[in-house]
Amino acid sequence: MTSGVKTLRPERRRLLAAAVLALAAPSAWAAFDLAALMALLAQRKSGEARFTEERFVSTLDSPLRSSGTLSFTAPDRFARTTTEPRAEAMEVQGNQLVLRRGGRTRQLTLDAVPELAALVDALRGTLSGDASALQKHFRTEVSGGAAKWVLLLTPLDARLAAQVQQLEIVGQGPDLRSIALRLAGGDRSLMLIDPPAK
Amino acid sequence: MTAAPLSRRRSVTVLLLWMVLVLAGLAQIARTSFTADLSAFLPANPNEEQRVLIEQLKSGLPARTLLIGIAGGSAQQRAAASRALAGELRRSGLFEQVNNGESEGWSEVGTWLFERRYALSPAVAPERFSAGGLRDAIDETLSLLGTPAGNAIKPLLDRDPTGETQRIAETLIPARSPRTEEGVWASRQGGRALLMAATAAPGANLDAQAVAIAKVRAAFAPLATNGLSLQLSGAPLFGVESRARIEHEVKWLVIVGTGVMSSLLLLAFASPVALAVAMLPVATGVIAGIAAVSLGFGTVHGMTLGFGSTLIGEAVDYAIYYLIQARGGSGGTSAQAPGWQRWLLSGWPTVRLGLLTSVCGFAALAFSGFPGLAQLGVFSMAGLVGAALATRFVLPVLMPDGARGVGLRRQLGRFAGRALAWLPRLKWFWLALGAAAALLLWQRGELWEANLSSLSPIPAQALALDASLRADLTSSDGGALVVVQGADAETTLQRVEGLTARLDALVERRVLGGYDSITRLLPSQATQARRLASLPEPEALRAALADATRGGPLKAERLTPFVDEVARARRQAPETPESARKSPIAPLLGALLLQQSDGSWAALLPLQPAGDTLDTAAVSAALNGLPGTQLLDIGQQLGRLYQRYLDEAKAQALFGALGVVLLMAFWLRSVKRVLAVCQPLLLAVLLTLGGLAALHVTLGILHLVGLLLVVAVGSNYALFFDLLRGQAAPDDDTLASMLLANLTTVLSFGLIALSSIPALSAIGRVVAPGALLALVLAASFVPRARKPL
Repeated sequence: MTSGVKTLRPERRRLLAAAVLALAAPSAWAAFDLAALMALLAQRKSGEARFTEERFVSTLDSPLRSSGTLSFTAPDRFARTTTEPRAEAMEVQGNQLVLRRGGRTRQLTLDAVPELAALVDALRGTLSGDASALQKHFRTEVSGGAAKWVLLLTPLDARLAAQVQQLEIVGQGPDLRSIALRLAGGDRSLMLIDPPAK
Repeated sequence: MTAAPLSRRRSVTVLLLWMVLVLAGLAQIARTSFTADLSAFLPANPNEEQRVLIEQLKSGLPARTLLIGIAGGSAQQRAAASRALAGELRRSGLFEQVNNGESEGWSEVGTWLFERRYALSPAVAPERFSAGGLRDAIDETLSLLGTPAGNAIKPLLDRDPTGETQRIAETLIPARSPRTEEGVWASRQGGRALLMAATAAPGANLDAQAVAIAKVRAAFAPLATNGLSLQLSGAPLFGVESRARIEHEVKWLVIVGTGVMSSLLLLAFASPVALAVAMLPVATGVIAGIAAVSLGFGTVHGMTLGFGSTLIGEAVDYAIYYLIQARGGSGGTSAQAPGWQRWLLSGWPTVRLGLLTSVCGFAALAFSGFPGLAQLGVFSMAGLVGAALATRFVLPVLMPDGARGVGLRRQLGRFAGRALAWLPRLKWFWLALGAAAALLLWQRGELWEANLSSLSPIPAQALALDASLRADLTSSDGGALVVVQGADAETTLQRVEGLTARLDALVERRVLGGYDSITRLLPSQATQARRLASLPEPEALRAALADATRGGPLKAERLTPFVDEVARARRQAPETPESARKSPIAPLLGALLLQQSDGSWAALLPLQPAGDTLDTAAVSAALNGLPGTQLLDIGQQLGRLYQRYLDEAKAQALFGALGVVLLMAFWLRSVKRVLAVCQPLLLAVLLTLGGLAALHVTLGILHLVGLLLVVAVGSNYALFFDLLRGQAAPDDDTLASMLLANLTTVLSFGLIALSSIPALSAIGRVVAPGALLALVLAASFVPRARKPL
């Protein structure tokens, strides 16, 4: 999937861009960078979409599949509700995280678990177009254009890096289409997000 | 010539008796313990709810928890210092637990819990080990894999596929916890690492707390490089520092007070002998006061001593009156009766009435349910009576004709005389000012806005640091908890289990954010036994497991360790409070389950609100009908306690003032004269209050007490001027003694107004200006002003 996205880019345009960059300051030539992506994403103030997820865990014989809905309301509310195979929910608002599993509810403070807070910031930051939230925890790398883009997030903090290797978020315009998470131990997950119902 | 000078025999008897009493008082004081703790602020006769509150405040975890902040430097430097400091403190053995957010410190607890997971997990029940139950439990465990959270459970999968460890861990997640930065607790605004250290010694043991605090400072000293600084707060620090501050303050007040009084007396008498003699009633009064409080209360609070320094100013008045007024008009060598005898006839009745009115005022305090005030009342009554009796009986023996020196007394008297002639012109001015004050007070509305913290001897700056550390640590001092009591540990734990089922429902409905409970770590024996009994035989488990894992991503063959550990758990004995006390969870146990002084047990369940405030009504409703269970909202309870003190103090102040007025009425036997005497008093109170209101002082109980003292002290002046009626113009000496007596009072209260102990300064700031106003007003409202000669 990752390589697929990259090959979509016309090679010629990249060459041209390089040439222009070499000749003059790129101010007039609006490259699709983090700022541009964030501006694009900031347009969306709320949204809801279905997702399906596959997790590949080294010790298990087969991948784990789940599905449910994601919802986001600017600036800081984010919820992931899993419906299959088990009902589970995770809802973040501000610094509060509420977990529901197996009919039990737990509330906890997000910034008490910085690694979790960083991952939540990665999602919320992307959804709300908040570059500073992303750059606080990650080295960011944007490729593609407004129509189809890829945002690579690599942890800056050693503690987070000990858990999470990389996050790759792919989107079309202001919509997120997939989130790939690679854990330090080699396990990974891929979440595919349906396009929003128009 | 009715009597000869005092007979030698009588003199000796009086002196001997006095010395015996003073020695007895000193002996009592030597056996007295002096405190500076919370006891002065807690009700002497608590009701059931207050008893729990007091137990909490005195011996609960907050009473022995130090809050520590490390500021300055970079986040990495602070985190390193936090780890080093926590390690050093843990090794010292002085602390029951030291938390700084490091998860490394919990590995022992984690292992202990993991090994007992089948007794501790709330999910363990017979159905859980059926094929369906196992499948469901395994599915739930698997649902975490492939996430960062799954990394932690992956290594345990073969031993704990049903996720009992997760279930236990999940219950232990606090709903509110500090922010973590660089692996340790940090403030939300950044710039500060945070630690909490609970001492092993009880909160009331201030000496042990002082040792613990010194240890924290010493352990931090080598870390104080790179601009790192230590911030320290918490009840133990407040206790230790208050004691030190009060000790220092009392010493300072006594030394300065004595110095100032001595200078005044030297000005008045120009005689060191007179000075020494004048100090005798003061010393007697102080000894009598401390001894009486010690006898009545068992301990003497440091604040009582601080307040006692004002007694110097009051008690010295008696000596001044005696030494001046007992002087023979022509040197005491005439054929007249000796000075002391004439004083007994002319001066003593006035002093006695003044004493009675003052005692009347203080007596109102002595009945306060607030031990701090009751001690002040008893101390002052005993002290004044002691000083007056010493003046009445001992001074005539030592100086039968008063003091001879003159000093600046003549000038003082002349000044007083001129003032007395001029002051009545201000009558209308005072009345207008009084009306303005009344208007201002009426506009201010509610005057009594201070809260319990205004009584505490802790400076506002320290309280602010405490509040900010608490906010960062999300450890509310005034938080709410449920207290469950029972005759024995097992009953208590079973009651807690009944309660947690209801609290869980509140958490589910998001009425409650969460709560802590000892039963998550140590369920009742009955519950543990029931859980362990629900574990199946290995054969049955193997069969169910084969069924449950068929077609799933986790193969049954991998799960042999699980079958083995369940088999082992079936032979486990339940944990008891005794066995847990020797385990790694001992510190947590100590904080959440305690055996009370009467042998009964109490479990504490701190509550965390879902939002900013706790819905106490909903929680109370949920507790309905549970035996031995009650909600304790510490902040609310303390507020209620203060309100009760305030209401009580208002009644006592009224009764005290009424007592003073009745006493004067009894003495004066004339409505007109009583009204005339009350007028300046009322105006003095009004103007003092108005002044405080104009300065936006938040008024509390101690200001109220101060006003009562203004009435008690001021009534002496008003009476004095009343008694001048119908006499020839007062001589300079009489006026000088009045002025001196007032000066000593104003100065002694002025001194405590400067005290850094808020409770003392509150009283001083009311009484010092109030007493001065009372004198000036009494002089302005002298019934029929007469011109001095």
